[in-house]
Amino acid sequence: MRDPMNKRFLREFAKDWKKNLALILLMSFMIALASGMEVGNKSMLKSIEASSETYNLEDGHFILKTEGSDALLKKIEEENNLKIYKQYYKEVDQVTEESKKAAEPDLIRVFPERTEVNKICLMDGRFPEAEDEIVIDRLHAEIRKINIGDTIGVDGLNLKVVGTIAAPDYTSLFQRNSDLVFNSISFDIGFMTQAGWDKLNGSRKFEYAYIYNDEPSNVKEQKKLADSAMQKIAVLAATGGYTSDLSVAKALESDPSSMVALQDYMADMNELMDFLPEYANQAIHFAPNDMKKDTNIMGIMVYIFIAILAFVFAITTSNTIVKEAAVIGTLRSTGYTRGELLRHYMLTPVLITIVSAAIGNLLGYTLAKDVVVNMYYENYCMIKYQTYWNAKAFLITTLIPLVLMILINFIIIFRKLRLSPLKFLRRDLSTSKRKKAMRLPRVGFMNRFRMRIFLQNIGSYIVLYVGIAFVMLLLAFTIGLPETIEHYKSEIKDNQISEYQYILKNSKDEAGNEITTSEETAERYAISSLETISGVHVGEEVSVIGVSKDSRFVKGTEGLTGNEVLVSSAFKEKFGLKNGSTLTLGDKYSDETYDFVIKGVYEYQGGIGIFMPIENYNTYFGLDEGTFTGYLAANAITDIDVDNIYMTITLEDIQATAVQFDRSMGGMMDYISVGCAVLAILIIFLLTKLIIEKNAVSISMVKVLGYENREINSLYVRLTTILVIIFAIGTSFLAVLGLKLLFKLVMYTMNGWFSGYISPLGMVKMIAIMIICYLIVMVFDMRRIKKIPLADALKNVE
Amino acid sequence: MTKEEFLTVSNVCKAFGTGDSRQEVLRGMDFTVAKGEFCVLLGPSGSGKSTLLNIIGGIDSADDGYISIAGDKLRDMNEKMLTRYRRKHLGYVFQLYNLIPNLNVKENIEVGAYLSDKPLDIDELLNTLGLWDHRYKLPNQLSGGQQQRTSIGRAIVKNPDILLCDEPTGALDYNTSKEILKLIEDVNQKYGNTIIMVTHNAEISKMADHTIKLRDGKVRKNIVNDNKISAVELEW
Repeated sequence: MRDPMNKRFLREFAKDWKKNLALILLMSFMIALASGMEVGNKSMLKSIEASSETYNLEDGHFILKTEGSDALLKKIEEENNLKIYKQYYKEVDQVTEESKKAAEPDLIRVFPERTEVNKICLMDGRFPEAEDEIVIDRLHAEIRKINIGDTIGVDGLNLKVVGTIAAPDYTSLFQRNSDLVFNSISFDIGFMTQAGWDKLNGSRKFEYAYIYNDEPSNVKEQKKLADSAMQKIAVLAATGGYTSDLSVAKALESDPSSMVALQDYMADMNELMDFLPEYANQAIHFAPNDMKKDTNIMGIMVYIFIAILAFVFAITTSNTIVKEAAVIGTLRSTGYTRGELLRHYMLTPVLITIVSAAIGNLLGYTLAKDVVVNMYYENYCMIKYQTYWNAKAFLITTLIPLVLMILINFIIIFRKLRLSPLKFLRRDLSTSKRKKAMRLPRVGFMNRFRMRIFLQNIGSYIVLYVGIAFVMLLLAFTIGLPETIEHYKSEIKDNQISEYQYILKNSKDEAGNEITTSEETAERYAISSLETISGVHVGEEVSVIGVSKDSRFVKGTEGLTGNEVLVSSAFKEKFGLKNGSTLTLGDKYSDETYDFVIKGVYEYQGGIGIFMPIENYNTYFGLDEGTFTGYLAANAITDIDVDNIYMTITLEDIQATAVQFDRSMGGMMDYISVGCAVLAILIIFLLTKLIIEKNAVSISMVKVLGYENREINSLYVRLTTILVIIFAIGTSFLAVLGLKLLFKLVMYTMNGWFSGYISPLGMVKMIAIMIICYLIVMVFDMRRIKKIPLADALKNVE
Repeated sequence: MTKEEFLTVSNVCKAFGTGDSRQEVLRGMDFTVAKGEFCVLLGPSGSGKSTLLNIIGGIDSADDGYISIAGDKLRDMNEKMLTRYRRKHLGYVFQLYNLIPNLNVKENIEVGAYLSDKPLDIDELLNTLGLWDHRYKLPNQLSGGQQQRTSIGRAIVKNPDILLCDEPTGALDYNTSKEILKLIEDVNQKYGNTIIMVTHNAEISKMADHTIKLRDGKVRKNIVNDNKISAVELEW
């Protein structure tokens, strides 16, 4: 026989349908956001991953100075066991109505149609068929308001835009791989028919994509193959395919008579201008890497949210248990087990969670996912995606909420049901031993009355305190996240290493002269990258920076010897590093590890890095004396040829991660703030309702005695108002601590380090939101008190 | 004919509180009840009758002495065993009916039936209880008597060996009380359950097979009633 008590579920649900519906809507909304985030994010990432198959993504590409001869290309293929595909392009001006407003025209990199490798994904319209037709990047078209059918000026020709596309090798529009930030505004890519492309006047860039015949199994192998390929291609190009062996090539160079041997290869000689393996290509990896950061915070917020709702359910159920004490006592005395009753009372929250998870996931896989995906489409040049079933989304949005709901309800309801059947029958559910009334200070009657109400309902007020603490934590997140990012931006502005950082392609120019500058503030430095192999986040990228001993930018390295380093304050905070301890870092692309002794902290929140004198740096890494990577400077360096500069890092570039983080999470925060305010109202509403219901007989009694509603409100509502204000202020500090702790946990899963921050004004905002939410609830509370009938006091209460 | 001893109450003692506030409620009670017997525990307020009933029901425990049912001593049972004991052997009827407010009459009775492997036929029971026409009503649509009938139905649907009734007519008017007593009498005769009823109404003892008179926590009289009358004949 099925438990007849289960029949109560629908009736209980219907009885409190407004509350239950509100809970379901709230929970579904939150789960939909988390599910949409996770599903959209992972579907997009999976589609990108699958694009290497779908669109035959390159394993890398290289650029030769002139068109590579067939013989040279064949030799490169043979020597490196790879297949080469021509991917020539022309980089020319693009003029549109929007770009005319800018000082300079946009730049478009135009390729002829691709059929074999890096195949393009048509987002809208059709592929070009005529010579004067072009398809361009979808995101750029949207930003520059170019519609299909518009005509744009490309290299002086008028071309009709017949479609928008996404290319798997340009998921973010990086013009150069060394750029720190992509540029979807003034940089574009386009594709034309071969005949149309031939008509463009711009000079051809001889780019060749390649795919290995034997696919490397991991990044380390990729790196090994790429290092070898780069060297071989450079040597083969320089010798016209004569040799790929660097030592042979060097020997030839030093022996003029060897030119005879190269006679037959002269026509094939070339020069390797650029080499970029796929794994290091920002245009391919920046977007997915950035997207991978997005879902962590959302998960944590859902958990807080569900924990709050679970708490609300548990408290509501506890109240039901109090009301049904005699029934429970009867059932227990006739043989119902505690477990059966526990299951019965947990049924409602569990079923509501399941229903909400179902609705939330449904919305997550449809509407919310589209919101998230659109967010990505607004930032990146994403290919078309397919929605994939996501086990992690199921875990985050269904299993974990369900477990949280069950756990929190179990703990609270089990405690309540632990009492003996007799206690239930006697409706004596208090666990307090206190029987005598507490003596109160000699204050006015009404104040003493309030104190008595407080003491009598202390348990309920503790519950209200916990509920407010939960909501304040959520508010701290929604208000604190944007503030944290702003704070981080201003913090790194105040203590960046230097205003300008230049990374050179080589420390010597083409003529072999060391690259110098007359900029007075410039000083040489060296930089490389290693990764953590232990600690809170394995695989975290660590910048190893060598600076001048008397550096004006990084102070405190002068006394360091050997492998002694200063660690950035961000690194120290995140990994809990200690002075005097040994730090071991690994090379991402090999199994080599490096030990460093921590000698102090350099106040730098902008990144995870270690600092040492450049002389020690060169010695430790086995580099020639005097080797350097670039310059740190307080002012812009103007006397170094831009061709020699690989990368310039300014404040904006350092802040780019935070800006991107803000852009991807900021939108979500608006939705969450609304949910948070509704939740605050709901929680205070439910908890204050419980207090009033619990005191209904007393309230009715004072009504019978002749108290007016105004006086009753001043007893019950004013007390609650005072307590809500005290609780809001008190819990705001706890919430900020919670924010910092949870932020730490989130950052442990990501690269970089921002510590959670909320300003005093932010705290005031949190308190103000809480109080405003309460004031709304207060109106309902006063109405509820007004509605309590006088007859309640006269009912037979056992 | 000697009846089979079913329930034994042996030297049961119970006190509440400590120190000055210690109050002995049961001071060594001894009696037995035979299987199928209708036994009334009669006494004024504070005589310990409800406490004794709760100890027999396994929802309270004796400080000393023991209760045994069909040879099984309750004091030897842990909480799980006691729950199983109540589930298998006991039906409870209280003065305040304690029905589940959002289940109808039939469903409230099903709550009891759920506990038994071989429950009585619910439809037949509804007829016996005179509740057939009210079976789909919620408790708040019923009179006090109908609610008490429902609670009796819930208690006996699992056909318990013992039906414990704690002042089942305490909250009812004269006529309804008699109806309920008649019903309990019918149940006793029809299903053969042992019935232990707590009351302070001496008249009710006239319908019992066996009356235990309690005062100040002790058995003052243990009367076997050879001339019992039907519930309909009771007057007070």
